[in-house]
Amino acid sequence: MTTPDPGATPWQQYICDACGFIYDEALGDPDSGLLPGTRFADIPEDWVCPLCGVTKSDFERYEAPSLDALRERASGCAPAMTSAARHTPGVVIVGAGRAGWQLAEALRARDAALPITLVTACAGDVYDKPLLSVAMARQIAPENLVKETGANAARRLNVRLLPHTHAIRICKETQQLRTTRGTLRYDQLVLAHGAQAALPPALPAALCWRINHLGAYLQLRAALGEAAATGPKDVLIVGAGLIGSELANDLALGGHRITLLDVQGEPLARWHAEQAGAQVLQAWKDLPIRFVGGVKVARVERLGARLRVTTECGQHFATDHVIAATGLQTPSRLAQSAGLAWQNGIAVDPGTLATSDARIHAMGDCITLDGQASRYIEPIARQAQTLAASLCGCAPVPYEARPAVVRVKTTSRPLTLH
Amino acid sequence: MNAADLPRELTAAPPPGATNLLAAVRAVAQGPLAQQAAAIDRQGHYPHAVLKELAALGAMSAHLDAPAGPGDFFLAIQAMAEVSKVCGATGFMMWCQAVCGLYLQQSGNPALMGEVLQRHAAGGGMGGTALSNPMKSYAQIESLLLKATPVEGGYVVNGTLPWVSNLQADHYCGAIAAVIDSAAKDGDTSAPSREVMFLLRCDAPGVELRECPSFSAMEGTGTWALRLKDHFIGAGEIIADPAKPYIARIRAAFVMLQCGMAVGITQGAIDSMWAVEAQLGHVNQFLEDRPDALQAELDALAGRVQVMAQTPFDTSTEFFIDVLDARAHGAELCLRATQSALMHQGARGYLMSSEVQRRVRESHFVAIVTPAIKHLRKEMARLSTQETPA
Repeated sequence: MTTPDPGATPWQQYICDACGFIYDEALGDPDSGLLPGTRFADIPEDWVCPLCGVTKSDFERYEAPSLDALRERASGCAPAMTSAARHTPGVVIVGAGRAGWQLAEALRARDAALPITLVTACAGDVYDKPLLSVAMARQIAPENLVKETGANAARRLNVRLLPHTHAIRICKETQQLRTTRGTLRYDQLVLAHGAQAALPPALPAALCWRINHLGAYLQLRAALGEAAATGPKDVLIVGAGLIGSELANDLALGGHRITLLDVQGEPLARWHAEQAGAQVLQAWKDLPIRFVGGVKVARVERLGARLRVTTECGQHFATDHVIAATGLQTPSRLAQSAGLAWQNGIAVDPGTLATSDARIHAMGDCITLDGQASRYIEPIARQAQTLAASLCGCAPVPYEARPAVVRVKTTSRPLTLH
Repeated sequence: MNAADLPRELTAAPPPGATNLLAAVRAVAQGPLAQQAAAIDRQGHYPHAVLKELAALGAMSAHLDAPAGPGDFFLAIQAMAEVSKVCGATGFMMWCQAVCGLYLQQSGNPALMGEVLQRHAAGGGMGGTALSNPMKSYAQIESLLLKATPVEGGYVVNGTLPWVSNLQADHYCGAIAAVIDSAAKDGDTSAPSREVMFLLRCDAPGVELRECPSFSAMEGTGTWALRLKDHFIGAGEIIADPAKPYIARIRAAFVMLQCGMAVGITQGAIDSMWAVEAQLGHVNQFLEDRPDALQAELDALAGRVQVMAQTPFDTSTEFFIDVLDARAHGAELCLRATQSALMHQGARGYLMSSEVQRRVRESHFVAIVTPAIKHLRKEMARLSTQETPA
């Protein structure tokens, strides 16, 4: 037993070099017979560390450091190379539609070694989306729409493909993309995730098809069956813009009976001045397509095995399938999570396609230039060249927005509109 | 809640400010709880007195609307974090108690919202949540274990739940059973399923608590298997019937509250890195996940949670995905931070007496408790997938 010190001088602390145990003179070590107030100097030499058993001589004076000083010191000696930083994460692309794959091709053409990761919610298979509007007319079997599987394209281009993976959030401070299969780091992130169908509240998602990618199209084709084998189906298409009119045309050629609704009085009303509507209606006169203009859908409901569509003006249509072709909108989740400038879509610089974050670019259907989306095929290859040059540090290839020329693939009467 | 239902002293007393509450919680956590943390972990000591003390402070009811003002979810999460920093098991039991209070308050059942809720909020009654299995059932991961057969005046419930936490003989928990109606009995599986949610009292007839195997880091959490044999529930026990719309309303709040555990354990790990910086900084600089970087990531995450905590009952899919992602991020960060803290502390953190190795095991719990990281990702993928008629 040692005699406690009354505490005239401040209590000191001593730390065990081996295990970090701190001997506090104020507390002593009662389990070893050292009463509170036992000075370190008064501890018998045969005393051992109560945690790890080393001797008194392995202790040294301890002063609780100031956290600020430690932070200061730690920030000054950041590791030059941690294992996480040893490999560069490279470019991460969100979306494996035409935009994503074209960019992967363009990047690989310029840089054989650049790590490229492609994250996509779908299977990542390579296909031509415009063919979805003409597959029946051209008698392309659904299974032949895929030009190259995602896995093969990824192998050919030495790209890491994460199929069936949803990008959930961008953490721009740490340059990470959070996904449903883990978190990816990026040096450069390119958003090429496209747009999705804008579904009005009157059209429930569980009852209405939206044909904006191959997966949904194949499901629709499977549900429709072959008209020759299983009989024609009644298909009601809401929206007679470009996609609605092309699908109406193609599914009618496939033998199905189409009802096409629009709030406007004619199909392709955007191109009224070029009399597009009048021309397609004329072309459709021998096809099983009924156009009903000037109507707005009020509700869709199940009626036995069929569906019933009711318009606000009280008309009823019974049908086997409903397809919504009511326009597109850009999902805002990723852009919002990174606080990217948004103007009806991801706002990008018209020449560089840079977003408001220096490490994030965007291309394809999800971007807007001066608030205008341009959801056509033609600009995508040129956007990919602009981005590839910039991301690979090559001489800039400025992007030029051009007025779109629209080819309406209504095969019964193809139109070219401006 | 109707103010007239409350005892006078509760309505008269002003609620402690957020700062006061957190300071009081911190004092309990770093005082009596810190002394018991090793016993909770190693001997399975159930810290009943500490939990009662925390409840009496209002630490597990800060998120509940009260006459004094609307509930503050972020305050409840911060209180849970203060405790989890010291003992993750106790932080988890705070979540059990907090979410059980949420069930009672959101039930709309006068039999549960009056005295029962008041006792619960004050720590006089304690409870848990048997929703691990139902939550996995709604996420299409497993099927419901409890079956309720309609009888005159209520249901008779049968089945066994493998582990339910924060239970003692006189505790209770929120539970969900699949309703076996006549159509289902006849083998008609096309009828939409219906479930009933109810307050399950451990001391009620037909309820048996059975011992569980030992748990890593969670041995002191009062975790038992519950076996129900012809257990009757009547109007006085019903939390929601049908349960689905109710679950849709509270699911974001349920998951969000869990963030308190991740935030606290991560903060504890970061603090333990700084604790050895003076001695070991010269070698620790070669590690990844240094405390300053982890702190920045934790602060950003806590900031996100703080914003979401303002709208806990937002039922939109996008909001729920945000909540699921924050919960997943918390679990991932917790795993990384506790792992790195052990690397930072080296042998001293590896001692069985060290909280540094205990936190590694606690972080594993955060990562696997329902909803586990894999469940969170599966659910985010499901909710992100475009619904089609097929």
